[in-house]
Amino acid sequence: MHNILPYNRMLQEYLRDELRVLNAHLPRHQKSLAELLLEKYPYVVCHNGSTHLFKRKELEYLASLIRADKREALLLPVLIELGQNEGESAVICSGEIVEEVISKVLDMQIRCRQKRITIYKPQLALLRKKLKTTTQYVFFPRTLE
Amino acid sequence: MPQQLIKVRPTKTELMKLKRRLSLAKRVQKIVRDRLFILMIEFVETARESVETRRRLLGDFSEAYKALSIAAGYHGYIALEKELVATEADSKITTGSRNIAGVRLPSFELMRAERAIRGYSFVDTSSCVDQAAQLAERCLEPIAELAELQRSLELLGMEIERTKRISNALEYVMIPALQATMKYLYMKFEERDREEKTRLKRVKVLLHQE
Repeated sequence: MHNILPYNRMLQEYLRDELRVLNAHLPRHQKSLAELLLEKYPYVVCHNGSTHLFKRKELEYLASLIRADKREALLLPVLIELGQNEGESAVICSGEIVEEVISKVLDMQIRCRQKRITIYKPQLALLRKKLKTTTQYVFFPRTLE
Repeated sequence: MPQQLIKVRPTKTELMKLKRRLSLAKRVQKIVRDRLFILMIEFVETARESVETRRRLLGDFSEAYKALSIAAGYHGYIALEKELVATEADSKITTGSRNIAGVRLPSFELMRAERAIRGYSFVDTSSCVDQAAQLAERCLEPIAELAELQRSLELLGMEIERTKRISNALEYVMIPALQATMKYLYMKFEERDREEKTRLKRVKVLLHQE
């Protein structure tokens, strides 16, 4: 029998860190698109105290997709939850406006079910390509079970 | 290859601990896999975008140099150089960071400032110089973009390597070791049960003989 406890301990440490850093980048508070467009340097503060900077180009692109009166309702960054299986993910839908935006970005009809919009790998890649800084991944404990 | 066993006392308490550790290791393996999946998507996308931006930048550079050589041909190198001496201008870039699955990536954005006056005399120059300046300014944005993409690519690559190593360690070392140790403990317990049974039978026989 070999004692692999030091190695084990290292992994345990890593795991603890991994769980801690996983959602550290999530924003403390989401900001509306209207609010962000008014800021000189549009950003949100993350849970770990760092800042997440939005690209003005992306904000302007989002603003061009929706009516001016709806900008207040769109909270950014839009959160993407990773699904149970690897090919599937879900966009957390806080309102109809997210549905509208995602539908326009992906150029396809989508439906929101239980506050989630299910998208697949190619769509996820497209969404992340177009909205690089205005979307963020989120890990929920239930997906880890 | 025989699986390495973890050095533990063969007790039920240790078995419980191992079970708990195995479940934790499996949960973490799921997290690590998810993270790796995200990082891979981002890496591929960044690589693709990097190639596109580089191609765009090369195109822009080629146009800008072409326009510059036309301007130089029209005005002559010395005259053009004299005009362009005072045209230096600072470009403003907003820098920040974005976080993808625990990796902090840089974010650069060129602040577009519409410049009505470029610094050279409009009287002594032709539209060729304007054209060259305009095309050269157009190159700045892809340069900033490419810098961001290249650094992101490096950081993502390093993180993928690290995460992959952890994932492999979990998949091929830690989880199999825990499973093998648990199996070993089960076998130990069964053996102990059998020994106990045999002992009891032996006692029974001895009692009968008396």
